[in-house]
Amino acid sequence: MIRAPLSTTSVLDESAAVVRATVSPWAALLLATSIPYRFMQIVFADRLIEIGSNASQYGDLLRTTADITCATFLLALIGRAIYARACRLASESGAAPGREALRVPLTAFASYVFVASIAEAATYLLFVTGLGIAFGAILSGLAIGTMEQNTEPGIRGPLRRLARFGGNSRIVASLALVFFCAFVVALLNVAALGSAIFALASTVGGWDAARWHALLSFSNRRYVLTIIAGALFVIEPFWIAANVLLVRKAGAAQTGDDLRVWFEELQRS
Amino acid sequence: MQCAKTLCQECATQWDGIWYCAACLASRRNTPAAKSRVGGWIAVVAASLVILFLSTRFMVWSGVLLAGLR
Repeated sequence: MIRAPLSTTSVLDESAAVVRATVSPWAALLLATSIPYRFMQIVFADRLIEIGSNASQYGDLLRTTADITCATFLLALIGRAIYARACRLASESGAAPGREALRVPLTAFASYVFVASIAEAATYLLFVTGLGIAFGAILSGLAIGTMEQNTEPGIRGPLRRLARFGGNSRIVASLALVFFCAFVVALLNVAALGSAIFALASTVGGWDAARWHALLSFSNRRYVLTIIAGALFVIEPFWIAANVLLVRKAGAAQTGDDLRVWFEELQRS
Repeated sequence: MQCAKTLCQECATQWDGIWYCAACLASRRNTPAAKSRVGGWIAVVAASLVILFLSTRFMVWSGVLLAGLR
C-alpha cells in the first residue's frame, strides 16, 4: 500500500517496514545467495593487493578469478530478484509474503540480468574514476526496482524504464547519499561487532588470543575486506527495498494511486 | 502505465502490479499467443552474455590499472 507521497523520507520509512516483514526467510535467502559473490570479490581484491604492481603479469589468474566472480554474480542476482519480489508483495499486502515470492517471472528476471550486467560493467569500467561504485549502485538499484515491470523480453524496454524512473534524479541521488552514509555507519558497527566478539572470546580459557589477534586485526587486509563485505550485507536488503518502493511510489504518483489512497485515509480519519 | 498515457484512476486497471489502460489490456489479451518473442529472448540473452563477458574484462583491466598505480 502506498501510504505517503513520493519523497526520500517516505521511501526510507516504508522500506524499513518492508525489510522487517521480509527479513525471514527472504532477507536470509538474499544473504545466502550474496555470500559467494562477495567472497569472490574479496578473493579478487586480495590477489590484486598481493601481486601489486606485477598484476599485469598475472592476467590468467585475475581473469579466472573474475570469471568465477561473474558466475557467482548470477547467483546473487537470483537472490536479489526473489527478494525484490518479496518486497513488492510485502508493500502491497503489508504482511510477510509466502512462497509466491519465489515465482519471479522469467521475462522480468532475464531483463534484470541484462540491466544488472550493464550496471556491473559500468562499475568496473568507471572504477578508477571513483564514480564507478556510485554510478553502478544507482543503476543496479533502479534495475532491481523496475525488474517486475518488464513483461516482454527485449533490450529496449528495460532501458526505457530505467531512464523513466531515473528521471526522479533528486530522490535517486538523495537515496544514494543516504545509503553511502548508512554504509559508513554499518562499516563502523560491523568492525565494532568483530572487535567485541574477539574481546569476549579472548576471555574464554584455551583461546589462542595471539594467533587470532593476528587474523582479526586491521593490519590483516583480508579481515578489512571481510568487514567491508559485512557492511554491504547489512545495507543490501534496505537498498533493494528502497528502490522497489521508489519505483512503486513513482509509478503510483504518475497514475494518481497515491491521491486515491490519501483521499481514502482522509475519509477514514 | 505501459503506454505512458496519463489516465485517471477509474480508467486504469492494475494487473500483476502494473497499471494498464483499456487499450493496453485489450492488446495484451488478443496478441500474446500470436506474437513471437523469440527475437526479444535472443537479443536479451545475447546482450547479457556479451556484457557479462565484458564486465569480467573491465574488472581485470581496472584492477591491473589500480594495482599499477601503487
